[in-house]
Amino acid sequence: MVSIADVNPYEMIAYTGSRVLEDNTIIFVGTGLPIIAAMHAQLTHAPNANLIFEAGSLASILEQGMPMSVGDTRAFRKAVFAKGLCAVFELTQRGYSDYAFIGGAQVDIYGNICSTFEGGTYAKPRVRFPGSGGAGAMAANCEKTIAIMALEKRRFVKQVDFITSIGFGDGSPDYREKAGVMGSGPYRVITNQALFGFDKDTRRMMLLEYLPGKSPEAIQDLVDFELLIAPDVKEMAIPTEHDLMLLQTKCDPEGFFLKRKIVDK
Amino acid sequence: METGVNSKIIGWTKVEKEVVEKAAARKRNFEYWGPTPREARKIAVGKKKGLSDKRMTIKDAVDKYLKDGINIGVGGFVNTRVPTALMWNIIKKGAKNLTLSFQSNSICNEWIAGAMLCYPEHISIKRAELAWWGYEIIGIAPLLRYLAGNELIELDDYTNYGMSVRFKAGAMGLPFIPVRDHGGSDMELVNRGVMMKCPFSGDNTYLVPACNPDLGIIHVTAADMHGNARIFGALCTCPEIAQAAGHTIMSCETIIDNMAIRRYPNLTEIPYPVIDAVCEQQFGAWPGAVYGQYWFDMEHFLYFRSLCDEFRKTGSKSKLKAYYDEYFFGCDTWDDFIAKIVPHKKLTFLRKMDGQQPIILS
Repeated sequence: MVSIADVNPYEMIAYTGSRVLEDNTIIFVGTGLPIIAAMHAQLTHAPNANLIFEAGSLASILEQGMPMSVGDTRAFRKAVFAKGLCAVFELTQRGYSDYAFIGGAQVDIYGNICSTFEGGTYAKPRVRFPGSGGAGAMAANCEKTIAIMALEKRRFVKQVDFITSIGFGDGSPDYREKAGVMGSGPYRVITNQALFGFDKDTRRMMLLEYLPGKSPEAIQDLVDFELLIAPDVKEMAIPTEHDLMLLQTKCDPEGFFLKRKIVDK
Repeated sequence: METGVNSKIIGWTKVEKEVVEKAAARKRNFEYWGPTPREARKIAVGKKKGLSDKRMTIKDAVDKYLKDGINIGVGGFVNTRVPTALMWNIIKKGAKNLTLSFQSNSICNEWIAGAMLCYPEHISIKRAELAWWGYEIIGIAPLLRYLAGNELIELDDYTNYGMSVRFKAGAMGLPFIPVRDHGGSDMELVNRGVMMKCPFSGDNTYLVPACNPDLGIIHVTAADMHGNARIFGALCTCPEIAQAAGHTIMSCETIIDNMAIRRYPNLTEIPYPVIDAVCEQQFGAWPGAVYGQYWFDMEHFLYFRSLCDEFRKTGSKSKLKAYYDEYFFGCDTWDDFIAKIVPHKKLTFLRKMDGQQPIILS
């Protein structure tokens, strides 16, 4: 029996990410934990979930090990289709990508994500991040957006400083339609301590699950806006020994992402 | 260009009013950062279209096509098939007030940014139209952070699809292209695209301007002497950049026979007329990776990034300058540079890490 103390935060995120993914889908993945989560899903409940890597591959077989980035040559190993960025983003714009699986620095009550800068202003940022990359296009046009984020008050904010990746905008029902994007928008936000979804009527972030031993109140304390709590809110499932073995030996054996030190800036 | 159409971001954004107004003026007074689509066409029309021998050294190609003030379209994607040998020669030759255009890139941008910070009279970039400037797993780019934080560079932010399809529009001879992203994000307000009501569907649709760089620089797996190119693994946006650019210098790991190209014409990803110079250069994307040839040299990315980060934190340029003095200005050719900076056994290791991916050179 695995106890929660045996599971590190990154393993918890990867396992939870895996649980969220359904079989017979196409998952457009970002670097790091999304790749690991998707690999775990393929090894367990979703053997026919296939990946898009934005440099241009579809349904590769990751037998050379975890790609270190979405542009890694390994991400093209034994793919069924290997082209470039236009090809896979157009497949996505057309409606063939079920999930966007992205990260970010800040998320808000309506699931908008900032990954362009932190602190200061857009014109003079304290820390300029690399930019949108694929994230903005994935959040616009994959059918459902799944985001991975560290659960901290400064990251879960009422309104992000800059919308890099569109969520529900200002929360109005026609925000995405007026934006001209095609996907249905935010679906899940995954952290090591909680799993969030979005309320259908208000499009606001809603707590679905929390880490065993925590409480909805404890999660609320880490979020800078008022969370909706799902009527059937429950504890998060913990990975089994087999799940941990897969994560540690098959998905990220070198521990590039799962054994990172947790750094507080 | 003003359309009077916006998504609801205009009433919701947290971006300062003056920044939005400045960006709106940039849309209103729109200028292509490089040849206009008409000018790009004129350049294409003026080229001789026969199957000529376009082989030359990178140095000669750069001497011929690099000029002050031009827009350089950079191929590859993050750390994959990045045209480092070409960028290295561009930095050595020097040019001022350059614009860079790319979707996602790492060391090409950081190299030229670092060279500018050390030797601003020799080489400089004034702006970039981009989606992403960083190293992925290795971390964010310290010099982008420095340049942006000190307002030393003008940026025009798109998504990876946005930049890719801007090159595609350029490659199609079109002035713009409609897309289903950027709208509703703050990029709608700060970049140079515009929202419009589609005359057919009535939907709000975002338009991004074509990007036709003056000079495309790409590195590919193999090509014949005329410029017909094969690419294995990710195409990235190299075919689009090559076709969009006024002129394109293409380095390749190996030159193959024209009869090989003709045996499998479906494998040609870039047709010869859009290529102006073919430069055979082994390890031409190091420390980046080339599918079927070699993998990333993670150690070098980390090493160079650490020099840049030290500069950002301390303001001291001494180590960064020493790097350029020894490895750029202290070497005649890319081959000399590679011999000096990477141990042979490291290259052997990198080949082993990715050399088994199957590619077709015959």
